[in-house]
Amino acid sequence: MPGPEKRRLSNRTKVAAVLVILCIPLVIAINILFFEDRSYYITSFVIIALSMVPFALVFEGRKPQARELVVIAVLVALTVAGRTAFFMVPQFKPVVAMVIIAGASLGAESGFVVGALSAFVSNFIFGQGPWTPWQMFAFGIIGFIAGLLFYQLAASIGAPSRDGSMRPENASYLKWYDINRLGSNVRARRRVERLRILVLCVFSGTATFVLYGFLLDTAAVLMFTSGEFSWTGLVATYVSGIPMNAVHASATVCFLLLLAKPMIEKLERVKKKYGLLGAQA
Amino acid sequence: MIRIGREGGRKSVFAGYHPLLNFMFFGYAVSVPIFFLHPLLLIISLASALAYSIYLGGRKAALFGLGFVLPVMLLAAAFNPLFFHRGETIIYYFYYNPITLESIIYGLCNATMIGSVILWFTCYNAIMTSDKFIYLFGRLVPAMSLIIAMALRLIPRYQAQVQRIVAARRGIGFDVSTGGYLTRVRNGGEVLSVMVTWALENGIETGDSMLARGYGLPGRTAYSNYRFDSRDRLLLASFLGLMTTDLFCLVTGTLSVQYYSRFMWENIQPFASIALVCHAAVSFLPLALELREDALWRSLRSRI
Repeated sequence: MPGPEKRRLSNRTKVAAVLVILCIPLVIAINILFFEDRSYYITSFVIIALSMVPFALVFEGRKPQARELVVIAVLVALTVAGRTAFFMVPQFKPVVAMVIIAGASLGAESGFVVGALSAFVSNFIFGQGPWTPWQMFAFGIIGFIAGLLFYQLAASIGAPSRDGSMRPENASYLKWYDINRLGSNVRARRRVERLRILVLCVFSGTATFVLYGFLLDTAAVLMFTSGEFSWTGLVATYVSGIPMNAVHASATVCFLLLLAKPMIEKLERVKKKYGLLGAQA
Repeated sequence: MIRIGREGGRKSVFAGYHPLLNFMFFGYAVSVPIFFLHPLLLIISLASALAYSIYLGGRKAALFGLGFVLPVMLLAAAFNPLFFHRGETIIYYFYYNPITLESIIYGLCNATMIGSVILWFTCYNAIMTSDKFIYLFGRLVPAMSLIIAMALRLIPRYQAQVQRIVAARRGIGFDVSTGGYLTRVRNGGEVLSVMVTWALENGIETGDSMLARGYGLPGRTAYSNYRFDSRDRLLLASFLGLMTTDLFCLVTGTLSVQYYSRFMWENIQPFASIALVCHAAVSFLPLALELREDALWRSLRSRI
């Protein structure tokens, strides 16, 4: 059980995270002052890489337990295996679905780590390239947001009522692990379950299309026009990226419809069985 | 992307050097063309990257160059003049948009940059294996590099485990290759479900085993297969010498080039030619090491 003391960040980690965030405007300033041709690609590349450092620092700073590390490694391996299994179908990949599941049931921080490392590890198979940090950041931030929406925020909404009992009307629709608190009301349970999957699917489709598509298309434009920036070029790339992003988003939704329930049930079971990651006993 | 590696089992010589040198070289080789968009520099980069990737990957790499890198480069070269209309030499009007000579030149340079970066990355993927990366960054991000190492090891393990689950389920009459379409899909889904449950349980067991063996205690050491020997020291010295000379010449701006509003190309001064020579020396150094080793190999073999 991670108690409050273990969750607290060390001061060194905090200072380092703040320094990294301060570095970003510095990078932009250096670029404007010293590179007159304004290399947008380099600047954005450095910023994307730097913005992942606080996540890494926080994760490393709290010295994760062996069990937690292994569960994250298992999820990364399953995600990468999923990506390689669909290597023939462009953009039709289960990666975002798996990352969102990881974020929803393990929390925002773990969601980020699973997302970023899945991108990195799978590129050992598919090939590292200038796109690696962008993919890492895009998958990571989707897992992070999924964790924020479906794990922590939900946990605060669905807090037990004052007498300690959990009535169905108090149960959060988004909180995954309290399904059993709805008691024996099968219809209510099923309704809640369907609503959760629906919310998750809407989120995942939007996140894949908007966040992942936006980030990777922007990276492509910046690479293609490395010295300059053009709105028409950006719009043209976004428009031409719509079909691919739509395929990716619908793939994510399909995989979530198939995987969300069994995967989250399995993760919740493991969490409960082994008292992992602050699962409610 | 493609996977390239030496055919015939003989390992690349440069890959045998210390991971730090491998990483240093690729860091330099990828960032110089991105930062300094000078036509001559870019041509050197592209030529060395192409030569090295073909040396490492053979015909597969050449096909990748033709089938993927060349189209990307053409696209990049076309992208620039179509969307940027700066420059004073207008050569054509395309749907009322001026196509300028300057933006064509800039597009070509940018395309060369993209091509060389992609080709360098194919070499990077062949040389910088995951264990080298973990070796280099294991101290900096220990937990994350442990996850990377474990995940990379788990993937082949899961492939083997899926085979075992399939075989076991065939034994109890749930064969994934017989029955109607729906039955097969259902059986396949069951295999995956068993797989995931097994993976998670097995992971917890691994974690407990790690804990029992003292994971997380201070004084952790890391297995390392690399040592920094005199050969590495020599290469490090030559890399440092060449790279710093080159970067000094580049940063002081002796090799500047102006694209807009008129393409201006500075005369080659002594400093500029030093920068170019150093850049070429660094870029072709790994290939030269490989070729020297090949020559040595051939001469030794013919003597026997």
